[in-house]
Amino acid sequence: MTRCERETVTHFAEQYRAAPDEVSRRIERAVIGGDWGANGYTTLAQARLLGRELALQPGARLLDVGAGRGWPGLYLAKATGCQAVLADVPVEGLLAAAARGQRENLAARAAAVAGSARALPFAPATFDAIVHTDVLC
Amino acid sequence: MAFFTIHPAAGLTRAQRRRASRDGPVAVATARPYRELLSAAGFQQVTETDCTAEFAAVTGAWIHQWEANHQHLVALLGKQAIEERQAERRAQLRAIEDSILSRSLFTACRP
Repeated sequence: MTRCERETVTHFAEQYRAAPDEVSRRIERAVIGGDWGANGYTTLAQARLLGRELALQPGARLLDVGAGRGWPGLYLAKATGCQAVLADVPVEGLLAAAARGQRENLAARAAAVAGSARALPFAPATFDAIVHTDVLC
Repeated sequence: MAFFTIHPAAGLTRAQRRRASRDGPVAVATARPYRELLSAAGFQQVTETDCTAEFAAVTGAWIHQWEANHQHLVALLGKQAIEERQAERRAQLRAIEDSILSRSLFTACRP
């Protein structure tokens, strides 16, 4: 793991560990239009735009790199019917995403993988589409 | 592939680039335009859509919502964490308004 990745884990792990309460969810809905435990800048309208740009549909395989708690990859799986693999370094966010996936009945179409974007454990051409939101800066 | 990313605006001075790295989210430091990087990596049909206005609106909305729910968030996260995060967001918003930080949607395909 690089120094940058270790800093990312430190920065986000504690944040992801605490489950969002009702006020936090209300704030998130007011700011970005969703309540998936996100804390960034991708709005619901922009998540939908990603789905259209990538032509996501049932059967399509999506990789969300830097998925955090599942925004927007898990949302896109729900909204479009695609399969989604959520990858990130902090395990805490992926655990929250997996729990949300269970609650949304997405367990059969969504999986979480802890790993760095520099060395993802997938063969070439595994996915039809890749998305990431404010991971590369 | 499609992705949103926060990046220094085009045509900045060296001092402005330092400010973009300082006031943007962690590691806003890319030295080359993403369009160039994607093309160099072999991606084709690269498109770029500027989303900076929405970025400013969302940053402002986080600041406003955290101010409106300050007492609750202090109890949840602690006063210092709230004040630090709000200061970071205000600096980021100033950098956006000063045309130093941008956010774009890129799309690209593999051959």
